Amino acid sequence: MGLWDSMKKALVGSAPEQTTTAKPASSPESNNQPVAPSAQPGEGFKACRIEQGTKGWGGPLVIAPNKTRRLVYSVTGGGIHPVAQKIAELTGAEPFDGFKSKADFSEIAVAVIDCGGTARVGVYPMKGVLTVDVHGATPSGPLMKYINEQNFVSGVKPENVHPVE
Amino acid sequence: MTKYQATIQSVGELAGEFIAEGILVFFATNAPEELQETALVHDCTSEPAAPVQPGDFVRLDQHAYEVLAVGKVANENLKNLGHLVLKFNGLKEPEMDGDVTLPAVPVPDLGPGSTLIIEDR
Repeated sequence: MGLWDSMKKALVGSAPEQTTTAKPASSPESNNQPVAPSAQPGEGFKACRIEQGTKGWGGPLVIAPNKTRRLVYSVTGGGIHPVAQKIAELTGAEPFDGFKSKADFSEIAVAVIDCGGTARVGVYPMKGVLTVDVHGATPSGPLMKYINEQNFVSGVKPENVHPVE
Repeated sequence: MTKYQATIQSVGELAGEFIAEGILVFFATNAPEELQETALVHDCTSEPAAPVQPGDFVRLDQHAYEVLAVGKVANENLKNLGHLVLKFNGLKEPEMDGDVTLPAVPVPDLGPGSTLIIEDR
């Protein structure tokens, strides 16, 4: 934990001009602050805990959907990913194919991506959405400044998703 | 043989941040808006004719670059999502599983109407 934090600080600190010259636009409906989701799921939902898998990074994350944040947003090739399916089954949240339909970020309990490490890893943390990468990617690229162990976990397989009683 | 051909339709507002690090991100027009923000958005939603391999050439408008390495999920990304990450870093081993690496040269200036072609030699 401490090592990663200091590495991230060092890396983020090395490119401060980017944050000033090319500040990403924030969509008005999204919360760009680090997500501090409630660990308490809404009525009718359950929480799950997601740990990093082999060669993974970050986490663990607790996903606690509620009436508003009720979608498991799968942005993966080939439909709803098995990891997204398992999260939906354990929590009662709704599996949602981000390539087929459009959702507001404020409706998303968790985004499931199959990112090779550069683009998608940063987009959802930047939008204030908890992010699960099914590949074992360590964050890289210009958006890594938005990624931390509290909003991102990678290398996740269905067996890394556990119910929270 | 041409393996993949696409024309750029638009350039996302965050694409410049990636270009500044020697990275070109591509997504097709059917990708969610938040991913299009990071990318050169192109019109090809069909699968590549064959997997991209080291030794292939990436043509961006009049420029040609030899592919040095192909990450293990790069072809899956291109096939399923029209998603490609080109890194002008000269690496023969990809840093990230999604990378397609090219020589460490400046990133060409591309915009709407620019073409992306991947072909074997």
